[in-house]
Amino acid sequence: MNKKRIFSVAYMFAITLAFTSVVSAIHLVNQDKIKTNERARLQGIVLEVLGIRAPAGSTRAQVSDLFDARVKTVQLEGRSVYVGLAADARTVIGYAFGVSGPGFWGPIFGMIGIDPKLERVLGIAFYDHGETPGLGGRITEHWFTAQFAGKRLEATGPGQRYFTLKRPGTSQGPNELDAITGASGTSNKLELFLNRNLGDTLPWLRAQQAKGVL
Amino acid sequence: MAKAKAAQIFIKGFWEENPVSRQILGICSALAVTNLMTNTLIMGVSLIFVTAMSNVTVSALRNVTPARIRMMVQVLIIACYVIVVDIVLKAYLPDISRALGPYVGLIITNCIIMGRCEGFARGNPVWPSLVDGIACGAGYAAVLLLVAFIRELLGFGSLFGVPVLPADWTRWTIMVMAPGAFFVLGAIIWLVSNLGPKPKKA
Repeated sequence: MNKKRIFSVAYMFAITLAFTSVVSAIHLVNQDKIKTNERARLQGIVLEVLGIRAPAGSTRAQVSDLFDARVKTVQLEGRSVYVGLAADARTVIGYAFGVSGPGFWGPIFGMIGIDPKLERVLGIAFYDHGETPGLGGRITEHWFTAQFAGKRLEATGPGQRYFTLKRPGTSQGPNELDAITGASGTSNKLELFLNRNLGDTLPWLRAQQAKGVL
Repeated sequence: MAKAKAAQIFIKGFWEENPVSRQILGICSALAVTNLMTNTLIMGVSLIFVTAMSNVTVSALRNVTPARIRMMVQVLIIACYVIVVDIVLKAYLPDISRALGPYVGLIITNCIIMGRCEGFARGNPVWPSLVDGIACGAGYAAVLLLVAFIRELLGFGSLFGVPVLPADWTRWTIMVMAPGAFFVLGAIIWLVSNLGPKPKKA
């Protein structure tokens, strides 16, 4: 009886070691590729929200080169700001920074691009979320994100909101956007964290500009 | 292994004892990933791979694995294959990996895989176990694709993301949401149990 138990423990130990080793090896082999994919994706998103278009059909490497030429990554006080540059590689055309917060099912990560005067939105993209495909997951779709482009960044009304998501088809005011049908939960959460993130980051960016570091 | 026997195992797993429509297993993911056909297809392929490979491994180790810890061993094996699928998707199909999100990881909890390991692979040689795994995985994928076909068509007016119905098609929002999957799956199970082979009386 005792021998059997010892064998069970030893067997479980050995088989766990063997299988996790194989999985770890596969992970190690592919780690760089996964990291490159993720980096390329982030670079593509930063370019997109800054309105810097890569020619259609560009490869990952070409997008990466464009990013290196036109975007300067600045680390300030533990935050990353992506500074978009014009084709002359000197004139600042905008800033991009990450926005994130809890969604309906899990955290949502996005990137927003704004003009150098911090007055208007250039573009926005949401790239990581756990929302329901086809419902809340539609925050990544173009019709939704395109609504943000060109909006004035002014905190207005009760609660000092930058954006208000309205029932689809009823948005009229300058800071109003159409929410997503069937995904009120996601829309409400998104509005909440976007307003909070902007309310926090915009004054900080202004302060950095005043200091002359941006 | 005789070809006839392989075919028999396949038909049994794919149709006669279809995991979703007859055994009512794997329902959670059948409800969760069936509103878009592309996601469903990749999910189905991933599940076929994990079920087949887990079956093979469990079968290969069936004579050495102590019976009392076999469940732990099965979970370990299944989890390893699922992580491999996740890594491979992330590395080579990053777009699809993102579309599936958490559902790939949730293959671990799919009852079909453990059901086949416990119900078939544990007591059968490697080759029949492989066929059984592929058959059950394919049976699962087929039912899910059927559910997804109906849901995406009525819910979005598209198939595999390509619009097929006129633009003024009124989307059945309920089809996109979980209750839609309950209705469609329920109807399919009802049809299969009426039109399909009658379960043999024990």
